[in-house]
This record gives sequence, C-alpha cells and structure tokens, in this order.
Amino acid sequence: MMTRLLASLRGRLRRRRIEREIAEELQDHLEREIAAHQMRGVSPDEARRLALRDLGGLVQTRDATRDVYATWLDGLWRDLRYAVRVLRRAPRFTVTALTLLVVGIGSTTAIISVAYAVLLRPLPYPDPERLVFLAEKDGGGIAWPDFQDWRARATSFDGLASSLADSVLLTNGPVPKRFESRSVTANFFRVIGSTAYRGRLFDEADSRPESGATVVVSHGFWLRELGGDAAAIGQTMSINRRPFTIIGIMPPGFRYMTPADVYLLLEPQVAANYRGMQSRLTHTTLFAVGRMKPGVSVIAARTEMQAIAEALALESTGKVGPYVRVQLVSLSDRIVGTMAPTLTVLSGAVTLLLLITCVNLAAMLLNRATARSHEFRIRAAIGGSRWVLIRQLLVEHGVLVGAGGLLGAAAGAAILTGLIAAAPRDMPRLDEIHLDLAVLMWTTLACAACAGVFGFVPIVKTAGTIMQGAVVRSGRGPTRSATSLRWGLMIAEMAVATVLLAGAGLMVHTMLRLTRVDPGFDPHNLQASSFSLTGASWPDARKQVFYDAVVERLRAVPGVESAAVTYSLPILGSNWWQVFMIEGTTAEHWIAVGEFPNAGMVPVSAGYFEALRIPLLKGRSFDRTDTPDSAPVAMINSRLARRYWPDGDSIGKQIRQGLPADPFGPWRTIVGVVGDIKQEGLDQNTPQQVFLPAVQVPRTTMFAVARTERSVASSSLDQAIHDLDPAIPVFNDRTMDRIMSEAASRRRIAMIVLTVFGSVAVILAAVGLYGVISQGVADRRQEIGVRVALGATYAQVVGLFLRHGLIVVGFGIGCGSAAALAMSRSLKSLVFGITATDPATLAATAALLALVALVACYMPARSAARVDPLEALRSD
Amino acid sequence: MNKTQLLQGTLDLLILRILDLGPNHGWGISNRLQQISLDGLKTSQGSLYPALHRLELRGELKSEMTASENNRRARVYTITGAGRKRLTKEAEMWDAFALSMRRVLRMGR
Repeated sequence: MMTRLLASLRGRLRRRRIEREIAEELQDHLEREIAAHQMRGVSPDEARRLALRDLGGLVQTRDATRDVYATWLDGLWRDLRYAVRVLRRAPRFTVTALTLLVVGIGSTTAIISVAYAVLLRPLPYPDPERLVFLAEKDGGGIAWPDFQDWRARATSFDGLASSLADSVLLTNGPVPKRFESRSVTANFFRVIGSTAYRGRLFDEADSRPESGATVVVSHGFWLRELGGDAAAIGQTMSINRRPFTIIGIMPPGFRYMTPADVYLLLEPQVAANYRGMQSRLTHTTLFAVGRMKPGVSVIAARTEMQAIAEALALESTGKVGPYVRVQLVSLSDRIVGTMAPTLTVLSGAVTLLLLITCVNLAAMLLNRATARSHEFRIRAAIGGSRWVLIRQLLVEHGVLVGAGGLLGAAAGAAILTGLIAAAPRDMPRLDEIHLDLAVLMWTTLACAACAGVFGFVPIVKTAGTIMQGAVVRSGRGPTRSATSLRWGLMIAEMAVATVLLAGAGLMVHTMLRLTRVDPGFDPHNLQASSFSLTGASWPDARKQVFYDAVVERLRAVPGVESAAVTYSLPILGSNWWQVFMIEGTTAEHWIAVGEFPNAGMVPVSAGYFEALRIPLLKGRSFDRTDTPDSAPVAMINSRLARRYWPDGDSIGKQIRQGLPADPFGPWRTIVGVVGDIKQEGLDQNTPQQVFLPAVQVPRTTMFAVARTERSVASSSLDQAIHDLDPAIPVFNDRTMDRIMSEAASRRRIAMIVLTVFGSVAVILAAVGLYGVISQGVADRRQEIGVRVALGATYAQVVGLFLRHGLIVVGFGIGCGSAAALAMSRSLKSLVFGITATDPATLAATAALLALVALVACYMPARSAARVDPLEALRSD
Repeated sequence: MNKTQLLQGTLDLLILRILDLGPNHGWGISNRLQQISLDGLKTSQGSLYPALHRLELRGELKSEMTASENNRRARVYTITGAGRKRLTKEAEMWDAFALSMRRVLRMGR
C-alpha cells in the first residue's frame, strides 16, 4: 500500500516526465517495428503504416497509457472524498474524535518537547559527558584559595575552571545600566569547549597583571547594545566606571547556568581582593567546572577531590571535620537538577493522557465499527471486497488522525507558548525549547497505530464471516469479543484517570498546605526594589547616610506606611553566610563539636522588623541610637537563640563574625531576639540568622522595602530612589506576593497540569463509561422489554446494568490506586506537608471517581428501566 | 468468440511470464508474445503499454529508461518479487481452470 502510494505521488510530481517517457517509449517501439518490417522487404512508407496500425494509433495508445496513472490517482482521490463525506455525515463522532486527538496530541507534544529540551538533549558543549560541576560541602561556594589548591593537586581533569555569577554596571552613558555578568577564570571557555563567534575568548595571557582589562560580550548584547557592528571588537567599554577592551563575542544561544551578557576575568578581581575572595573563609557563589580526562568516571573524580579536600583540611586545621565535603556531579545533572522531578511528573502525566486518548479513540472506533457493521455487511454482500473495505477505512482513519495531528500541532504550539510564559524565569534552557517535530510524529503515530489496531478488529471479523458465507446476524448486536474488549478498555481508562487524579489531589493538597504556612512576617502590601551603590564615589560613610535618606524618601511617598533597607529579602534566601564566635568559647571547642557557629548575616536598617511585621520577642530593635560610631550591636532570631543559649539568656551576650584567627569586625552585643521567618522559602526550615545594623555594616547592593496601605504603582519606589540620585541603578522591582508566587511556580505548574489532565481524564472516562453502558442498553432493548413484560421491577433492571458497570469501575480504581502508590516516588520532592502516599488524598480521589462513575453508569441504566416493553418488542 | 477479448484478463499473466525469462522492452515483449504463442494469441500492441504501466503501478514490475541504439532511449521492464508471486498463483489457477473447462467440454463425447 505504502509503496504504491509513494509511486502514485511520484507519478503526480513527475507527470510531465512520465508523458515524455511514454512518448519516447512508443517512438522506440515504432522504430523497431518499422525496422522489422523493412527487414522483410516492405517499403518504408508501408512499414510505417503497418506499425501504426498494429499499435492501434500513436495518440490513442499514448492517451490510454497515460490514463493508467490518472485512474490510479482518481481512485485515491475518490477514497479521500468519500472519507471526508462519511466523517461529515457523522459530525458528533468526528468532532469528538478530533477534540480527543487535538487535546491528546497537542498537550503530549508540547510537554514532551519541554522535557526533551530541558532534560534529554545534550548540553550545547562538546563532549558534555566529561564535564562536571564542583561545589564545596552542601553545595556551598568554593573559597578561592581552596579552588587554587584543588586545581594544583587534581589529576582527574584536563582542566579545572571556576566562575561566579555577578552583575555589572555599564557606565558609558549618563545613567548607568545594570547587566548580568559572569566572572570566569582565564581557562574557563577552553574547559567547557566554547569558541568565539567573533574575535577571541580569554586566554592565560589576559589574566597577567600587566595586561589591560578585557571583556567578552554575549551575542545578544552585541546586537542590542553595540548595534551588531563588527568594529565593536577592540573598542573600549566602561564597566563599573573602569575601561575594558572588548576582545570577543560569544556565539548566539551560548549559556552557562544563568544567562549573562558580559564575561569578565576572575583573576584580576581576586587580585583586588574583591568580596574578600583572597580569604579561605570567604565562600561566595564561586563554583568550579572541570573537564575530566577521557576514561575518568565521575565517581573516580569525586573520590580524588574528597581526598584532596580532606588533606587540605588536615594541613590547615590539623583535623578532618565531618563537614569537609566536596560536591561533584555531572554538569548536566546540576543544570537540570531542580526541574527534573517536575518534568518527570509532567512527562508521566502526559504519557498517561496520551494513553487515555488512545484508549478512548479505540473505544470510539470500536463503537462506530459496531454501529456500521450493517453498512459493511451490505457492501460486502453486494460484492465489495474485504480489501476495498479495509482500504476505505484506512483512508478514513488516516484523514481523521492526519487532521488531528495537524490541529494537534497547532494546539501544541499554543500550549508551549503558554507554558513558556508560565515557567519560572530561572528555568534552565528555557530558550532552547521549541515544538519538537519528532515528538509530534511519535504521538500522532501512536494514535494512528491505535486507530489501526482497534478500528480494524471488528471489520476484519465482520468481513471475514461474510466471506465464509455465514448467516447474517440481525442488524446491531456487537460480537462478544468486541464487548469484552470494550470493558477492558474501560478498566484501563478508569485506572489511568485514578493515577492522574491522585497526582492532582496531592499537588492541590500541597499548595493548600503551603498557603497555610506562617511565613513569620506579613507578605501582603509589601514592595521591594534593589539598588546598588558601587564605585569609588560611594565610600562607606556616604552609604551609611544614604540608607537613612532612602527610608526617609520612601516614607514620604503617598500610601507608604513604613519603609526600611535590608541586605536579604525573606523567601529569596540569605546571601551572606558566615561563621561567628561566641564570647567565652574557643575554636577548639567548636572543632570538637564538629561545626562552628554560623548564620545568615543580614544587615538591616532601623524599622525593618516593624515594616515587615516580624515580632520582637525580647530586648529591643535597632533604632536611631544605633549609629556608625555607637556601640556595635546585633539581633538574632529565635532559632539561633535556642541553639546557642538554650536557657534563654542571650541578651547582652557578645558575638564576633569570623574565626578567632581571622575575625571580621568588632565584638557585638546582642540587643534583641526576633521571631523566625521563612527566609529560604515557605517549604524550607528557618535558618539561623544574625541581623546587623546596616549603618555599622554597609553593603553595596541593598533592597529597599516599603509597607503600603494600598497598592502603590511599582515605579514610585524606583522614582523615589532616583529622586535622591538619578545615577543609581534600581532594579528587580517586585511585590512580596509576587516573589512568593514565583517561588511556588514549580509546584504550581505541576498542580495545574495534573489538575487539568486529571479532570480531562475523569470526563473522558465518564463519557466512555456512559457510552459503553448506553450501547449495552441499546443492544439489549428487546431483552429488557421481555424482562419488563415478565414483571422485572425498576430496581432489577437498573441493577442489571449498574452492577456490571460498578464491577468495572471498582476494578479500574483498584488497579489505578495500586499504580498511583507505585508511582508516588516521582512526586516525593514536589509534595510538601504530606507524604506522596497520603491516604486521605488517595481515598478522596477514589471516592470522587467512584461517584462520577456511578452517575455515568446510572444515567443509561435508568433509561433502560424506562424502556416501554411494547415498543421495544415491536421494533425490528 | 473473439480471440482478443479472451485475452484481456490474461494479458497481465502473459507479460509476467515473458518477463520471468528476463528483462525486456515493450517491443521485445510484444515480439516475444507473438513468437511463443505462434501468433495464436495476437493482441493489439496498443493494449500492451497501458497494461505494462498498470503492472508497474501495482508493484509487479519495475522499469528503467536505458540508452539504446541510434541515440534513442528504451524503457526496460523487470519482474519484481510481487510479480513472480502473482504469476505462480495465477498460473496454477489457469491450469485448474483449463482442466475443468476441458473436462466439461469433453463431457459425454
């Protein structure tokens, strides 16, 4: 069939060529025939006349030959037209089947496309399987001296590089612009295997102190900011008010972890002790990437790095603490790490939906085939061959699935656009996602195969019986095997619906739990915006004054109740972790304990706790009496207080940041204890926190927060800060509600998809059940009529159909619940506050499904009981 | 009964049989047809070409344009596996049919 179809298509495409070849072929025939006649001594003219006569005329033969092709195409065309007509005559079937196909193919293709782009497609670097990601214990950043020691001692790697996500100010114009940047070691691009789009990338020579400052920019930056001008290479750009020479442009789409527009060298920053990176105690967000030598396994590399880290710890402290750990994972695991569980769940859900689509399609085709068996019998009886019937069905199903595939592709593209819009902005590899044609082909083929198998089973059977001359059964009754096939499909459908609905139930339950979590502060009507005070023009003394000015200015904005300045926002996490010492304890004591006291350090302005409505439990808050020159003070959270002063007398005690040998700042007196807040996110435990007066510990980049009594235009915060100094970059303006909603987006996507799919699955299952039982009722009308006539009661007739339906439902829900339990592992990392096998949720799911199924069974069963015996017996 | 009418349904079979002996072009087939049937089955050469192209569309033959003498091109046909299968099957049917016909026609003679 396929080869013939192809031959005909080829024929169509090459119609002109075929005509030319036929003419040539006939000409060849004539000349041979003429030559043959002449050999026998006939004159040339007579020979030509005889040859033409025997051929039956050149033009006639040519046309007759050409018509062979036309007839074949006509046959196909006729089948297509007939199929479209048949489908249009059954609009309810066609629309339902098409909707089913569009939903099934569209959503499956869209979501598997995302999963493929993010999870499965190799990273866009050469030999990505040899790349590994390295972090210090618990995934923390690496201290620069540690990284240097690692690089010097490790033998598993062809190269070990490190990089740091950062942001820079472009200070070319009057108003500085902020850009995402990445500071990389000189060997970074060589290690990951990237090459420049234009110009060149960094090499070791660039990192020598005597070389001038150089910068590499992204392709997007080059187009947007430099006008895509090839002459940009070699030009100078002012970054953080210092001149840098542009040496290269990255290829389009290049990305490492987070997107960045500007790539700077890390070594000069270390040399300048940027962020105190020369200290072994400073753990910024510096992470390393290594290219393993060929043949080295991840486990071997991890073992070597762990040994190196322990040796280093032994040399510096004389002891290997339990906290000496190196995290080494393959780069692709790290990049997709956080999204992997969500995507696995989504792909699983979508596969189940495709399965349910196929099952439903199968049931529909089976029903339709049974309903049409009469038509087929008649056609077979008047001489239609089995082959013709099958060919026609094939074309019919082909048209249906083909149309479904096309519309499904359009729906898939639309769903994909929506998904990309709803995805968290930091979702990895978002820019690499597009509708995958291979996936579309596979989903469509799955439906086609399903239509093929289930659409033909009854036909082959019907046609077969006729061929054998069997007695024609009365019009409608289905065969026994078709009925049991249908019930089998219903069980599968109920089971799949149970799994999807259980997943949806777990995610809804999780989201409910999350909204009930007490964040420890009041997140509503809270706005935040961050600003940077960088460069030599911002000495600490000027920053200290400026914080107060920002708070003053924000309070003057209409609608703002209170305002403050902070280094870290709740939910978004701490961005300054440090160990500290407690008065009266020694380093040796803590080494024996196995862990130094540590906390997230948060410099805040006076009024911060009042603005966020974080309760003060003990002592006092920071206020105007805390100045740069007053006694150094600190506040702590309740969790830290309980940990180090379990008897509750923390007020008045002294702490000092850093280790005894390497302190950071003066001893500080604890003046207050505040309540715990969900600093790291609603689903995370509260960390130990130390709050410092921002005037005593000024930082470059701070958040301004404002409590408003009504919603204030977000730009008014930025405007207020710009009023003070238009040259200050202000960015990331958001409400706290928005921050919390973005933090939950991973779970929300899972919840939305599972809920939508679960609902679709339940509706499909209910409709399917309704259809199968209605069909049963229709098939058995006469039998019901007889029963009613013989005195069967309403309850008996209803029970007859209900019983059968409910057995199937119970079986389906049972199988589905078992499957849901088996698959609960994949939801483990997404649920919160409940287990992935939460019995209440599963029970509720089963109950809801049973109820829906009961209704779906009861409606047709009730109509059976209303059958009028006289009418039923008279029909047929 | 007209000889050509009888031939309509069997032309396919004869073509397949001839090509079973080896690849050939249209004129060669027509010539061969006359030779082996001793002109007893002479057909209009005109119906040969549509039959050849129909067989090719059904996948029972394949063809190729090849260079021939005098700068012309000739289409050379080759039988395919499907064609051979049909030939075997229909030849058997013919044998059975011919046998029954003979029995019937000679009945009672």
